[in-house]
Amino acid sequence: MFRIPCPYCGPRDATEFRHQGESRNRPDPRTVTRGQWRAYLYEKDNVAGWTRENWYHGVGCRRFISVERNTVTNETRPAAAAAGAVDPVLPGAEAGAPDADSTRR
Amino acid sequence: MTARVRAARSSRRPAETPFRLPPQPGEVIDRSRLVPFDWDGRRYVGFAGDTITSALAAAGVRTFSRSFKYSRPRGILTASALDPGCTVQVGDEPNVRASARRLAAGMSVVPQNVWPTLRYDLRSVNKVVAPFLTAGFYYKTFMSPRPLWPAYERVLSRFASGGWTSPDAIPSYYDQRFTHPDVLVAGGGPAGMAAAVEAARAGARVLLVEEEHELGGSLRWGGAQELEALGRLRADVAQAGIEVLVDSVVAGRYDDNWISIAQRGLPDVTERLIKARAGILVVAPGLIERPYVFAGNDLPGVMLSTAVRRLIDLYAVAPGSRAVVLSANAEGDAAAADLDRVGVEVVRVLDARRGEDVRRALGRGTLSAVEVADGSRIDCDLLVTATGWTAPTSLLNMAGNQPVWDPLAARFRPGEGLPDTVLATGGIVGDGSVDELVAHGTATGALAAARAGFGSAAVVAPLSPHPHPALFRATTHGFVDFPEDVSSKDVMAAAAEGYDSSELVKRYTTATMGPTQGKLETVNTVAVLAEATGRSIEELGTTVWRPPYAPISLGALAGRVSPPARYSPMQPWHETHSAVPLVAGEWIRPDSYGDPAAEVRAVRSAVGIIDVTPLGKLALHGPDVPNLLAAAYVNKWAKLDVGSVRYGVMCAEDGVILDDGVTGRLGAARYLMSTTSSGAATVWQHLESLLQTEHPDWRVHITPMTTAYASINIAGPRSRELLTRLTDVDLSADAFPYMRVRTGRIADVADCVLWRIGFTGELSYEIHVPASYGLHVWEALLERGRDLGVRPFGVEAQRILRLEKGHLIVAQDTDGLTKAYDAGLGDLVKLDKDDFVGKPELLWQHEDGAQQSLVGLVPVDPSIVPAEGCQIVDGATGILGRITSSRRSPTLDRSICLAYVLKQYAEPDTVVTVRLPDGRRIPATVTPPTHFDPEGARLRG
Amino acid sequence: MTARYSALSLLSRGLRGRNWPLVWRRHELAPTYDAVIIGAGVHGLAAAYYLAVNHGIRNVAVLDRSYLGGGGSGRNTAIIRSNYLTPEGVRFYDRSVKLYETLASELNFNVMFSQRGHLTLAHNDSSLRTMRWRAEVNKLQGVDSEVIGPDEIKSLVPYMDVSAQTRYPILGALYHPPGGIIRHDAVNWGYARGADARGVQIHEYTEVVGIDVEEGRVRGVQTSRGHISTPVVLNCTAGWSSLVSRLAGVRLPISTHPLQAAVTEPVKVFLNTVVVSGTLHVYVSQTDRGELVFGASTDPYPSYSTRGSLEFTEELAGHVLELMPSIAALRVLRQWAGLCDMTPDFSPIMGETPVEGFLVDVGWGTYGFKAGPVAGEAMAELVATGKTPDLISSFPLSRFADGRLVGEKGAAAVGH
Repeated sequence: MFRIPCPYCGPRDATEFRHQGESRNRPDPRTVTRGQWRAYLYEKDNVAGWTRENWYHGVGCRRFISVERNTVTNETRPAAAAAGAVDPVLPGAEAGAPDADSTRR
Repeated sequence: MTARVRAARSSRRPAETPFRLPPQPGEVIDRSRLVPFDWDGRRYVGFAGDTITSALAAAGVRTFSRSFKYSRPRGILTASALDPGCTVQVGDEPNVRASARRLAAGMSVVPQNVWPTLRYDLRSVNKVVAPFLTAGFYYKTFMSPRPLWPAYERVLSRFASGGWTSPDAIPSYYDQRFTHPDVLVAGGGPAGMAAAVEAARAGARVLLVEEEHELGGSLRWGGAQELEALGRLRADVAQAGIEVLVDSVVAGRYDDNWISIAQRGLPDVTERLIKARAGILVVAPGLIERPYVFAGNDLPGVMLSTAVRRLIDLYAVAPGSRAVVLSANAEGDAAAADLDRVGVEVVRVLDARRGEDVRRALGRGTLSAVEVADGSRIDCDLLVTATGWTAPTSLLNMAGNQPVWDPLAARFRPGEGLPDTVLATGGIVGDGSVDELVAHGTATGALAAARAGFGSAAVVAPLSPHPHPALFRATTHGFVDFPEDVSSKDVMAAAAEGYDSSELVKRYTTATMGPTQGKLETVNTVAVLAEATGRSIEELGTTVWRPPYAPISLGALAGRVSPPARYSPMQPWHETHSAVPLVAGEWIRPDSYGDPAAEVRAVRSAVGIIDVTPLGKLALHGPDVPNLLAAAYVNKWAKLDVGSVRYGVMCAEDGVILDDGVTGRLGAARYLMSTTSSGAATVWQHLESLLQTEHPDWRVHITPMTTAYASINIAGPRSRELLTRLTDVDLSADAFPYMRVRTGRIADVADCVLWRIGFTGELSYEIHVPASYGLHVWEALLERGRDLGVRPFGVEAQRILRLEKGHLIVAQDTDGLTKAYDAGLGDLVKLDKDDFVGKPELLWQHEDGAQQSLVGLVPVDPSIVPAEGCQIVDGATGILGRITSSRRSPTLDRSICLAYVLKQYAEPDTVVTVRLPDGRRIPATVTPPTHFDPEGARLRG
Repeated sequence: MTARYSALSLLSRGLRGRNWPLVWRRHELAPTYDAVIIGAGVHGLAAAYYLAVNHGIRNVAVLDRSYLGGGGSGRNTAIIRSNYLTPEGVRFYDRSVKLYETLASELNFNVMFSQRGHLTLAHNDSSLRTMRWRAEVNKLQGVDSEVIGPDEIKSLVPYMDVSAQTRYPILGALYHPPGGIIRHDAVNWGYARGADARGVQIHEYTEVVGIDVEEGRVRGVQTSRGHISTPVVLNCTAGWSSLVSRLAGVRLPISTHPLQAAVTEPVKVFLNTVVVSGTLHVYVSQTDRGELVFGASTDPYPSYSTRGSLEFTEELAGHVLELMPSIAALRVLRQWAGLCDMTPDFSPIMGETPVEGFLVDVGWGTYGFKAGPVAGEAMAELVATGKTPDLISSFPLSRFADGRLVGEKGAAAVGH
C-alpha cells in the first residue's frame, strides 16, 4: 500500500484517502456547449507516468489535497515539488478555506 | 480405509525407528520428549523438534504422497518447507508441509492424492498411458461430442491434487498485528543475523524474520566451525535487542515497504498476519538448492544435498543406507562427508565438476539403483544431488527489481535498480566464507540503519558469486516440476509447438504453477526451454514472481476483525421487543416488530414512532450556508427563514440524482441538513468538495451529527397529542405549522430539534435528541402514548406508508442514470438559478424532455403484488418500463406500485402489461404517484 | 496446414514421439496489410479469426508488444455469463455465450467451457431487487436466470453459510445456469491457431509506437519492428487503450484501474458453481485443478501498476470467509493484477472514431473476456462491411458527447 504525502498530516496510507480524479477546470456553465461539458465530465488524460491528481483525506484531516503520483509505480510526491510552485495548500487561517489553488488548476 | 480399521491399526504399538542416529552436535530434537502421532492410520512416535517427515524418515517411511497426474510415489527431496512430495493432510487442515511442520502430540496425519491407499494406487495405470498425457493433452481432446464435456470434466477434476476441506470445519483462531520497524531483515542466516545486529547496534528498531524454526540458516547443519559461528551470532542477536520471529516468513513486499509476514507456531493462534511498514527492508533469504533433471529424479530416495544434511545434522536421521552422491559443490561434498561420518555407506561420489554424471535413477516404488553416465549401474537406496542453487529473488522482484542471469555462477541474481529502501545480503547476492557473509551482512546492516536515520553508513564491499558449473539436465529426461508432474520432455514438446517463451510455457505446461510457485522449478524450466529453442537463459528470463513468497492462510489474511455494524442508541429496546433486523448498509435497524401491516394501520389511525437515527445529519454553520445550499441542491434556498424547513434534491454534475433530504434553518447562521442513511458520507464529502475546491471563499463549517443525535419520527393523527405531553414547545398548528423547525426540551432533555415534516403522509414530527438520551426519549414516548395506541414501527411499515404517499426513495426509485426530470422532480429544479451542481445537464434534459417518467401503477387485479424489478412489457420481448416499488397497501386494501414507463405511457389511466416472475402477464393502470391523500390534508392538519 | 487435434492423433503422436506443428507461426513483418489489429488478446485474435473465416479477409496482422494473451486475456478469472441488466447488454453477451458453447469444436481446441452455473448473491433488499430486475430482463431476452432463495443456494453450495446470523445474511441469489468458467489461455491459443491457419499473421513482441493519420484517415502504423501501411487499424487493447488511441489523436473517456485476483493451493473439488457477491466485492470459483480462484472489484484509483496489494488479499479473505467460514485454513498461493479500462457507464466502446479507418473495441472494464467472441465477430463485420452491426449499435464512442449512456450503470449504482 503506497503512501500519500498529506500537506496537513504528513505521509499516510493510501487507504485513508479517496481518489478524486485528475485536476481539471469546471467549464463556465453559462457558456459551455454540450460537447465541452461532456468532455469535462467523461474524458480523461489517463496518464501513464507522473500526473497531478486530487485526493480526499476522508479518514484524516478531511481536506481535499493535490499530489503528484506516478501511475506506473505508484510513487507519490507533494504536488508543488515538481513544478517548483507555491506550497500546494496554504495553512488555512480559517477552517474550510484553504488556498483556492489547492486542488483545481 | 474405514475409520474402524484405522483405529485398530492405531492401537498397535508404535513403529520402530531404525534410521534414528545417535545424538548429533547440532540436532534440534529433544530426545527427552516423546511425541506420539498417527500417519496413514498407524501410530508413530517422534521427538519434540522433529518435523513430520523427519520422524517418519527415522521409522523408515520413504513415500509421502502420490503425484497428481501420473500417481508416482514421492518422498523427501528438500526436507524443507518446499518439499514438493511431502504435502499432507493434518486433521481438517489440507496441504500441510510435512517437512517443515513440527510434530504435535496426537496429530493425525494422512497422505494426500492417494486412492485407495498410498501403497496401492489404482490411478498409477496412468503410467501406461503417459505418452498420451503429454503437457496440454486436454486442449487437444475431450472436444466431442460436446454434451460429454461435463462428464470428462468430472473425471479430470477427480485428479485435482491437494487435501480436503470440510463444510463443518470449525475455524480456528487467526490474528493480525501491525509493526513499524526501522529495519526489517527477511532471513536469519549468517548474513541476515549480522545485518540485524549491526542495524540494532546503530540504534534502529530491528525485526528479524526467519522462515525456519531457529535462526542460523545453513550454519545449523554445518561442522564445528559453523556451529561455533552460529553460537556467536545468536548471542549477538540476543544481546542487541532485536525482535526475532522464527517459523515466520516475509511473504510480500508492497509499495512503500508495506510488508506482510506470516507468523506461525504461536500458542492458540493458527497463523498471524503481521503488517509492517518498514523503513528499510534487508532481503537475506539465502539460496535454494536446485533439483537436477534426469530420468527417475522423483523417485523416493533421490534427495538434494541440503536435505541429507538437514536430516542428519538437525534431526539425527539417516536418509538411507547405501548412497551415491553427485556433487558439483562444497555442499555436496559435505553431504558425502556427513553420510560417511554417520555410517551410511557411500558407494560412489560422482564429481560433476569433472564431468561425472548420472543418467537415470531406477527403482519400483523407491530408488534401488543408479545408472551412471559411463553406463555402470550401482545399487543404492539414496542418490544425493548437489548441482546448483537458485536465488529466491521474489521479494526483490516485488520491489521492482528484475533478476539477471549470471552464467558463471549458473544462477539468477539481483539486477540493478532497487528502491533506496530495499537492500540485499547473503547468498542471494554472492558466495563467501562464513566470515565473508557475516561481513557483508554487517556492512549492509550499517547501511540499512544509516538509511533509516541511525549512524553513518559503511561501504559495503561487494560479494560475488563463485563460479559454478551450469548443470540442469542429464542426458535423460526427468521432472522439472514435481507437484505438477511436468517433465523436461513436456517443456521441449511445448516449445516445439510454439509455446516458446517463459510465460507461454508456464501457462501451457503448468510448470511452476504448483505449491512452490517456481522456487525449485523455474530455472530448470527456463534452462530446458533455452535448450529447446536455442536461446540463452539470459534472453528468456524468468516469469514474474508474484506475492506471496510463501502461501498465507485465508484465516490470517482475514484476521479476526469482523465487519463493523452501526446501531442506534435504541437498539437494546429493539432487541428485547422482537425487532426483525434489517441490514441497511453499515446500519442494522428494525425492519418491523413482527406485523408491518398493523404498524401501518397504527400510524394511519393513531400514532407510531420509528427509530430513524441512521438518517444522515450535518450541522452547517456560517454566513454562506445559503450559497452552499443553492449550489448543492437543485432548488432555491435564499429565502429560507429561521424556523423553516425545506425539501431538497441534489444531483451530480451529470444531472443524476445523488441524494435528497430536508434542511432546516435553526438560527441566523445555523442549519441542520438531513440526508439519506446511505448517502450521509457521500453528501458530506460532496459539500466539502464544493467548499474546499470551488468556493474556498465561502464561510461555512460542516459538522457531522448523524450519531450525535438519536432521531425518532412520531407519525399519525395523534402524534401532536403525544408529543405535547413531553415537550415545552408549542405544537399547535398555528404556532408550529408544516415544514417548520423548532428547538426545545423533550422528556426533560434539552437541546432537541423538532421538525414538522411527513415522509409517511401523516401529521408527524421528526425529533433529534442528544444521542445518549435517545433510549430515554423513545421509552418515554411509548410510556406516555400508551392510552393513545402508540406503536413502534419499522422500516417495512415506513416503506409502505411512503409508497402509499408516493414519495420516492433515492437508489430504489432512482438508479445510476436517473436525472431529476425522469423522477418527476422537475418542478423542484430552478433553472433560473445562476449555477448549481448539474445545472447544464438538467437544462438540456429540460430542453429535450425526459424519455421516461416515474408514475404510480395499480394492477387491475388488486390482489396481485408484482415483485419489484418486474418489467412492463410490449409484445414478446419489448420493454416499456419497470416496477421500482411495490407493496400491498393495508390502508387501500390493494396492491400499489411506483414504476418507470416511457413518456408516451405515463398518462394516468393508461393500461400497461406487467410480466410477473412466473411468466404471467397482467394488466395494470397508470396513476399519479400519490396513491393516498393526494391533497396532503393529513400532512398539513 | 494445421494438424487436427483428437484423442486418436494424440495417442498416435504420443506413441511415435512426434511433435505437433507450431500452434501459430512466426513471420517477418510485411510492408502492407489490409487491416492491422493492435492487441493479441481474445478480442484482437477473435476479430482476426472472424475477419478471415466470415469475410475472407486474411491479409491481416495482429500485433502485440508482449506475448500472446499476456494482458487482460490471460489475467482474468475466466467467468462467462450473460445475465446483464440492460436488454442490449443481455443480447450481446448471450451471443457471446452461444459462440463460446461451440468454440471448442469450431476451433478444434478444447477451451474447457464449464457451464456449471453462476450465482450472484443478494445480501440486502436493494440487491435482491436488482437481481429480480436482471432476472426479468434476462428472461425477456430468452436468457436463463432466476432469483432463488437461501435453501436452494445451500443445496448448490453446501459450504455456504446461509444462516441469518451473519453480518451480511444471504437473502437470495440470481441463479444463471448457463454461466460458468473457461480456460482463458486456451481460448486465446485456439483463436490464434485458427486465425493463423487461415493466413492471419500474429506478431508478438511488436509494439505500436505511432499511428499515421493523414487528412483524417489512417494510413499505417509504426512499430518497434518497422513501418506498416494499412487503411484500417483496430485498437483491441486493454489497459493501454487510451494511450494507443491517443497515437491516432483520439481521446477516450477511459480511466485505467488494476483489477486483482488470487488463487489458493489446490484442494479436492468442493465448489461446483461460480459464486459472486457484489455487496462483499468478491467472486470465487474452483478450477478442475482444485484451486480456488478469487477476484474482487477494481482498485479504487487509476493505476498502471500490476504488482497487487496486500489489502486486496486481506479484504478478499475476509469476505470469502464471511461466505464460507470453514475454509479458513486454505492458503493463498499467488496474487496478480490486470488492467481494466473503465468507462463512465460500465459499457464498452465499439466502433468508429473521428479518425476514418481507426476503429476501437475498448473500454471493457472487468468483463472483456466474456465478450471476446462476439466483439471479435461484430468488429470483423464492421471492418468488412463498413456497417455497424445492430448488436453493438448502443456502444459507440459518440454516445458520451451525445449524453446517451448505457444503462448498465444502473445496476452497478443500485446493486451496492
